[in-house]
Amino acid sequence: MAAAAAAAVGPRGGRRGCELCGAAARRCCARCGLAYYCDVDHQKADWVSIHERICQLLIPIHTSLPFYSSEKERKHGTEQLLNRQKHIIDLAYSTAQKFILEGKPGKAIPAGLQALRFSIRVYGSYSVDVVPAYLVLAEACIGAGCLTQATTYLSQAQWIVLKTPDCSPAVQYKLHRDLGLLYAAKGNLEQSVHHLANDIYLASCAFGPNTIQTAGGYFHMANIFLRQNKMDIVNSLYAEVTAIWHAFLVRSVQTQEQILKSQAEASPFDEDGEAGKDHLTEAQQAEAIQALNAILDFREQAPKQQPAETAKVLHSLAMLYYLSMDLSKAQEVGVKAFDLVKQLPQQESLEAIDHLLKLINSKPFHKK
Amino acid sequence: MNMLPPVIVQRPHGHPTFTEQTVCPALDFARVHLIKDKDGIDDYLAKNIKGLSKQEAAACRNSYKKNICIDMLRQGYHKSFSELFTLIQKWNALREAAGPGSAIWQQKSLEEQPDKLDQLYHFLTRAEAAQRAGHYEEVYNNQLNLAYCFNDSEGKWLRNYFYEQCFNTAQLIKIDGGKKEAQAHANMGLINEEQGNIMKAAEHYEAFYELTVGSTWKDETGRTYNSLACEHLWKIYTVLADKMLEVKEHQQAIKTLIKALKMAKEGGDMKMEGEAAYCLGLTYHFAGEEQTAIPILNTSVKIFTALCDSAGLGRAYEAIAKILVSQGKVAETVTYLEEFVKAAENAHLSGSLVDACVLLGNLCNERGYYNEAFEYFSRAFEAANTLSSLPLVDETKTYYGIARAHKMMVAVNNHTEAADLVSMKYLLAWKENRSDMCTDLLTVELNKETSASNPL
Repeated sequence: MAAAAAAAVGPRGGRRGCELCGAAARRCCARCGLAYYCDVDHQKADWVSIHERICQLLIPIHTSLPFYSSEKERKHGTEQLLNRQKHIIDLAYSTAQKFILEGKPGKAIPAGLQALRFSIRVYGSYSVDVVPAYLVLAEACIGAGCLTQATTYLSQAQWIVLKTPDCSPAVQYKLHRDLGLLYAAKGNLEQSVHHLANDIYLASCAFGPNTIQTAGGYFHMANIFLRQNKMDIVNSLYAEVTAIWHAFLVRSVQTQEQILKSQAEASPFDEDGEAGKDHLTEAQQAEAIQALNAILDFREQAPKQQPAETAKVLHSLAMLYYLSMDLSKAQEVGVKAFDLVKQLPQQESLEAIDHLLKLINSKPFHKK
Repeated sequence: MNMLPPVIVQRPHGHPTFTEQTVCPALDFARVHLIKDKDGIDDYLAKNIKGLSKQEAAACRNSYKKNICIDMLRQGYHKSFSELFTLIQKWNALREAAGPGSAIWQQKSLEEQPDKLDQLYHFLTRAEAAQRAGHYEEVYNNQLNLAYCFNDSEGKWLRNYFYEQCFNTAQLIKIDGGKKEAQAHANMGLINEEQGNIMKAAEHYEAFYELTVGSTWKDETGRTYNSLACEHLWKIYTVLADKMLEVKEHQQAIKTLIKALKMAKEGGDMKMEGEAAYCLGLTYHFAGEEQTAIPILNTSVKIFTALCDSAGLGRAYEAIAKILVSQGKVAETVTYLEEFVKAAENAHLSGSLVDACVLLGNLCNERGYYNEAFEYFSRAFEAANTLSSLPLVDETKTYYGIARAHKMMVAVNNHTEAADLVSMKYLLAWKENRSDMCTDLLTVELNKETSASNPL
């Protein structure tokens, strides 16, 4: 399926091709009559991935524009069309991302293809705006083990970035992270580290050296060094990742607390103004949980125990679970952290953890 | 078919063709055609024709700063990277804040100075490697080297930053008994002193002193750390006392200067001790405790005499003279200063002799003993001439002139007040020939006669 997926990308000619593989189509979606498939399997795959959500949205896009008599109406008409297409891009992109986060990369591929197809249609094949779609597709392919496909997509994305001299580092760092992960999956560790180094550098340029965006690069890099058995580097990189997340989560919990307080005092209609600033997206949350759990495993199985570091990881995890409303897990991890810190000679973080546990137990959290 | 002569295709010069770049000999080159499969050709090309790898191509495209950062990260030196990155950002922020036209604006930003970046790369990564291995002494040495790298005025904040890093690292070094920690305290003291944080500097120097008491550590010049600490403390206490005197906290200043004197004694440097005693004596004088001041000033006089330090001697005697005069003991002052003159003559200190004579001359001058003042100033002038120091000669010359004028004033006044014919004659005669010897009657008359007999 994924091997031929690229063939379907791009403007379709007069003959209908399969949405997924581009082969000659024999079936058609009965509801919209716009999506064609070579066989039932591909239709099913597309349906569960993305078509179910966009089936009805495709109709207004594919019907030709009515005749407008005034310039203003024409303009409005094209604008509306553009907005509808952009909506489909967003929908397909976020769906693909969700599947990847849920650990179902295979399901993400059709959605990614859809995002790519519409991105190219709206922005053109060589626009930087197409890069995110390529990246999400590549991530899905890496997850599904289709490395050749992933290489193709990433090469496309890399070429676009290279041809765009003023491409923002915020886009570039993601490209390099995916390239790093691809080479890691291929076993080319040297190339992988090179790309991850680029990732960290670019993320630092875009967001600053000690932000959660750079933490991702550090984490993946540590994993590569772990495979090379360079334990001292892994140790120090994991400590860095933990420190970044710890600092970020402490700030987040503090703002959360302030919001709760102000909500308790002021009227419930008060919109949380600054909540958006330090807010975690779902993807970042998943990334943090993955990274921190991996580090926790590493710390707990390390031959040389560093209880202070382990406690910091546990503390971060507890805060993370608290912020994502997983209170039972937050409680469990928090208590673990508390017990660990109690045995340490320096107990400066004890107070903070204690405070967090109280917050978890008080639980005046309204559902988001 | 060819209607036109064949066109001679001209190739632009300067672009060597691809075949010229091959390094393989001609015989081997022929073998290329025998290789049928593509992988073989690729392999052959990779081995024999040096092209750029993807990474090398990227390195050519990137800035030097980016290449250095990526190189650090590839080797896992993430702390060095984030430190370098933050420092570059801070430098740029400082530049922006200072604005165009400032000193730091004139200078290039850090990322445009490859040699500085190289130094940072070298020492930062080595420090990080040492830190990973737990060799804090090496971390310290590398950080110290970095501090030495940025000694120019624009990079001063960087130097201070690395001294602080050294200080933090030194706290972790336990095996050397605190030698590095002591060093770090001394450096912190220096930068705080430079920035004007006297109290903070004093704290660091005190810590430096505490750590070096009873140690045998020596610096590169062979001086013991302990005496270095004493000197730093003496200096900083003196500065501190000076600040206290500005706000008239005499007792506090005296306490601080007593500490300074103690340090100077411990440091074993006589000059330092003399200076400390002088400052303390002077402060006692400011505080109105003349009885305590004089003995202490006397000790400083003794030390300076032993050291043949004429500048110090001059200051100490001047202070004592001032105190004595303020107590109304003029005669005593004069005898005291006469002693100074004798001592200076015995020790062949022309500078001190000048000082002593000037002091005495001033004293007489103020009290109207113009003849004596004239004597002293002329002696000062003579002594200054032997020193061949032009400013000093000029200064004493002026004193000499003033004393002369004062001396003449007495005679002129007498004649003017008398207002008789003889006196008028004298005055007139003096005015005509402008001799500076108005008092000398004989000379005037003689001059008159000679000038009359020899009409020109």
